[in-house]
Amino acid sequence: MEKIFLKSDLGKSFEDYEFSGLKNSLKMEQTQVIDKIKDSVLKGRGGAGFPAGIKWETAYHVEDDIKFVVCNADEGEPGTFKDRFLMENLPYKVIEGIVICGYAIGSKYGYIYIRGEYTQAIKIIRKTIQKMYERNILGNNILGTDFSFDIKLVRGAGAYVCGDETSLINSIEGERGMSRIKPPLPVFEGLYGKPTVVNNVETLSAAAEIMKYDYNPYLQLGTEKSKGTKLVSISGDVYKPGVYEVEFGKMTVKEIVNELAGGVKGSGLGFVIPGGISTEVLTENEWDVPYTYEDLFKIGTNIGSGGMIVVSKDRNYLEIIKNVSDFFRDETCGTCFPCREGNKNINKMVSEIYERGYPMKKEIEIISDIKNAVSLAARCGFGEASVNLILSILENFYAKKVK
Amino acid sequence: MEKYYEKELLEELHDIQETYGFISEEDILRISEKRDIPKAHLYGVISFYSMFHLKPTGKYIIKVCDSVSCSLNHSADIVKVIKEHLGIGENETTRDKKFSLEVVECLGHCDEGPVMIINDTYYTHLTTNKVVQILDNLD
Ligand SMILES: Cc1cc2nc3c(=O)[nH]c(=O)nc-3n(C[C@H](O)[C@H](O)[C@H](O)COP(=O)(O)O)c2cc1C
Ligand code: SF4
Ligand code: FES
Repeated sequence: MEKIFLKSDLGKSFEDYEFSGLKNSLKMEQTQVIDKIKDSVLKGRGGAGFPAGIKWETAYHVEDDIKFVVCNADEGEPGTFKDRFLMENLPYKVIEGIVICGYAIGSKYGYIYIRGEYTQAIKIIRKTIQKMYERNILGNNILGTDFSFDIKLVRGAGAYVCGDETSLINSIEGERGMSRIKPPLPVFEGLYGKPTVVNNVETLSAAAEIMKYDYNPYLQLGTEKSKGTKLVSISGDVYKPGVYEVEFGKMTVKEIVNELAGGVKGSGLGFVIPGGISTEVLTENEWDVPYTYEDLFKIGTNIGSGGMIVVSKDRNYLEIIKNVSDFFRDETCGTCFPCREGNKNINKMVSEIYERGYPMKKEIEIISDIKNAVSLAARCGFGEASVNLILSILENFYAKKVK
Repeated sequence: MEKYYEKELLEELHDIQETYGFISEEDILRISEKRDIPKAHLYGVISFYSMFHLKPTGKYIIKVCDSVSCSLNHSADIVKVIKEHLGIGENETTRDKKFSLEVVECLGHCDEGPVMIINDTYYTHLTTNKVVQILDNLD
């Protein structure tokens, strides 16, 4: 069953939305807000899973008159559409989360960076921001307090790598969306060299929802290591694709696909891509795994972005590998030589494999070697994860059968 | 924090792109002087982003998604029928300057594939017949 937590105000109009999360926060000390988010163990929902409370706490302790909050709404991972869902359906909650974060860390300046292709979400968020100014939920002395906060919307312009937080910062500054060397982390030196918290749309919305309650609702949801709920966007070979909210640990991937998404189309499961095309696939032997960070990690994959793609066994898997490899060849920002050249070389091999109809053992070995080289040299998560899916399909379905 | 209250370069470029369909040399010269950024640097920034064009495009820019989920929903057939119907290839513009075609990565409507956007409008659950109808109805 779907667990309705983040989705709970779905359908509510802007006028009826109470912003209780923000109102409660403004009555608390900044550190109390941070402690509540820390206690909730809310992990970053953009893919990397870093605890939001710790990020906020770090930013709070960095001394600077100017700090930034940036909401990462650059959602571009194929198969992922939950941030669009939130922006189109609960835009006020998204912005509320940004304001709460601003209050907690002591920032007056917020950004929401939305990918340029999300034309509908852009319109809705723009309008919501305007209405929030009118209701004094943004601007000077918010709701009669000493706290003032502004938000600006910046549109991305069609580069997947800008989803990486350091590339995104460069992009807001008007540069090419190339990643920065870390350290320094953005919480110390981010946008315009100032302390910056970058959080995903879903992370900030969840923070707003958590702040709505007098108690800590996350402590009663999920498992010890995976607290709360997660929006899963499901597409591919299922009868009922869409965005579903899942409480961690309460359903297996198999149950999510069968009970929420209506089951696998065609003659049976080939595999599930659990969290976007940077994550390793789950086969029929593996998909009965509880949906938690720790359980997916244990079997060698990842919650990722929550973009679940289901593939039936009737499909040509090599065509999928080819599609994924084209993506990584085209979208690398090209700064790190191994990421740029490695993905190009893999693409050449994968194209040959696709034409031929099967891989050779040697090719799988070479792709595995390239994967290691690319991950080691990668400056950002793109390179680190670019070969995961491709190699996992080759190893699961071909390695034992070919010479 | 005066920088915060300036318009971001990306926003300025978007506005020009939206109004004129491309970013001209005069625009670049103007921005370069106003913002005190070398022209070569601006070219570098603009060419990094696929939504910005340095040459005029068609009145309608068609973007068809070709990522995994849409590909499972036969986006290749959609691309093929558009190419045939308009007589252009990828990244080309029809001679009457009405349509440009781009094949792009995930558009975030993976549950409603195959998907395309024409300028600001999304079209989902496409079929080859539907696509031809949509194109023919644009003036
Ligand atoms: C290539 C690449 C693309 C990314 N794309 C996104 C994205 O679209 N949205 C997002 O929230 N995070 C994305 N991330 C992760 C961000 O770098 C960052 O970890 C995240 O925005 C932090 O927010 P969170 O902790 O709330 O998840 C991407 C990372 C990489 C390396
Ligand atoms: S790992 Fe790849 S995408 Fe990331 S910075 Fe290096 S070249 Fe760019
Ligand atoms: S894969 Fe086409 S919209 Fe996501």
